[in-house]
Amino acid sequence: MEYLIHIAILICIYGILGLSLNLIVGVTGLLSVTQAAFYGMGAYATAILLTTTGMNFFVSVILGMIISGVVSLLIGFVLSKFKDDYYALGSFGFNIIVYSIFLNWQSLTRGPLGIPGIPRPSLFGFTFSENIWFLLLSALALLLVYGVSQYIVKSSFGRVLKAIREDEDAIRVFGYNTLFYKLAIFVIGAMLASIAGSLFASYITFIDPSTFTLNESIFLLAIIIMGGLANNKGAVLGAVILILLPEILRFVGFPSDIAAQMRQVSYGVILILLMLYRPQGLVGEYKL
Amino acid sequence: MDIVPQLIVNSIIAGAIYTMVALGFNLIYGTAKFFDLGYGALAAVGGYAVFYFYKTLGLSLWIAIPLGMVIAGLIGFFIYRSIYAPLRERKSSSMVLLVAALGAFTALQSVLAILFTSQFQTLSRSAGDERVFEIAGGVITQVQLIILITGLVLMFAMALTLKYTMFGKAVKAVGDDEEVSKIVGINTRSIIGKVFFIGSAIAGLAGILVGFDTGIEPTMGLSLLLKGVIASIIGGIGNIYGGVLGAFLLGFVENFGIWKISGEWKDAIAFGVLIIFLLVRPQGILKK
Repeated sequence: MEYLIHIAILICIYGILGLSLNLIVGVTGLLSVTQAAFYGMGAYATAILLTTTGMNFFVSVILGMIISGVVSLLIGFVLSKFKDDYYALGSFGFNIIVYSIFLNWQSLTRGPLGIPGIPRPSLFGFTFSENIWFLLLSALALLLVYGVSQYIVKSSFGRVLKAIREDEDAIRVFGYNTLFYKLAIFVIGAMLASIAGSLFASYITFIDPSTFTLNESIFLLAIIIMGGLANNKGAVLGAVILILLPEILRFVGFPSDIAAQMRQVSYGVILILLMLYRPQGLVGEYKL
Repeated sequence: MDIVPQLIVNSIIAGAIYTMVALGFNLIYGTAKFFDLGYGALAAVGGYAVFYFYKTLGLSLWIAIPLGMVIAGLIGFFIYRSIYAPLRERKSSSMVLLVAALGAFTALQSVLAILFTSQFQTLSRSAGDERVFEIAGGVITQVQLIILITGLVLMFAMALTLKYTMFGKAVKAVGDDEEVSKIVGINTRSIIGKVFFIGSAIAGLAGILVGFDTGIEPTMGLSLLLKGVIASIIGGIGNIYGGVLGAFLLGFVENFGIWKISGEWKDAIAFGVLIIFLLVRPQGILKK
């Protein structure tokens, strides 16, 4: 039972990440491979604030979102100068730069040693120390993020984003400031990813930089491409499948080191097969 | 002790390694026009092939190295024929190719980790008692000297091949306009296949030489590849000499950049340089 709850919590966290990235890649068509950086910022914000100042978890979530928002505004502004391949490559770069900062700013992040002993969230004297309660909290967060994403996609703002994805020049002719829209969604996506980071840090109670590498960003991309781009249900579905898949591999009986690598192999093969045979993913509304 | 001569030597060696990666990458990008990220894993494939033939089976170096290159080349060719070629024929966007390449890269890298564990290993049998040369206060090992010479030889060989042979001219024609080349009777499919073989073999060679200089691990490819890409872009993508110039520039910036700070920042510095170049001079130093 504990094990199932653990899996469910992971699905919630990755569901949030998938939704946040889907807004950027799926809805707006910006191939960003740097989402793990914002995920990490949320995680580090919560970890550092909770362990050093004893701040309330929920306040740290807000602060983490603000930090991610400000940083993503800068990154998004630089990336907005690039197109297609160069956009992806530039976003790689930012992921690696942010990772280097997590790794090297030792006085703040303790570098490769990581930050242990992050407390669980508490509210009005109630602590979410039991996993089942934490699952409830994560599920609520997922629901909230899903609602926000759905609202964005359905709104007129979301329609402009989709128009940018289909033909940016055309929508610009109609007088829309596409830079503003692209920056806005990039920042929103980053702030939502930061929530997932805060949850992750508080759930695992230990973080180190190795969770927030470029590989993690590629994994998040695999989640939304698997589920289907531009579809919020698809983003969550992708998270469910790609979190469950390695667990199945584990039951098949591979040793844990090999199972971890098998997991990577299967993501890679899934990406290739999807690109070859079903580029829109399972329930996607948009092909790359 | 004065550190500057050693920094210069280190920069030149780094530059020579990046030169090889950039040459192969430039060749592939110049002809097929997409970012082949799978290329990074092929450097690791080359390194591990030599590890297997030379250290495990005990074959002579003169057999092991060419075998390693051929294996890297064949795998590159096979990936092209089975994944990229079908995608290109149905005119998939460069994003689809990029994601497929990411998949190939992730899968290949993890297969290496399963076969050979993810531990760091060295290629040379007699670590430690290498011949060492001293030039103007800087120390250079025999392997590093070989790397430098190989890089330069490769550059001239490639420049001459492209300029004076039929094959080279065909490669350039395909790079300029694939459709027209097809019309004038160039077998573009076979030309691009050969380009993938040669480019991948060069990547393999780079991986092998890095393996003798420092060592190999399955994840070595990504950093090598990204450095090669950065070198190509800042030098001027599709331009042989530009790639070489960019490679040495990158080598110098990286090594002098960490003069006063920790070596862990190298990757961040490299991407910082890339982003500055993309913003200020996206066509690179030498235009094609």
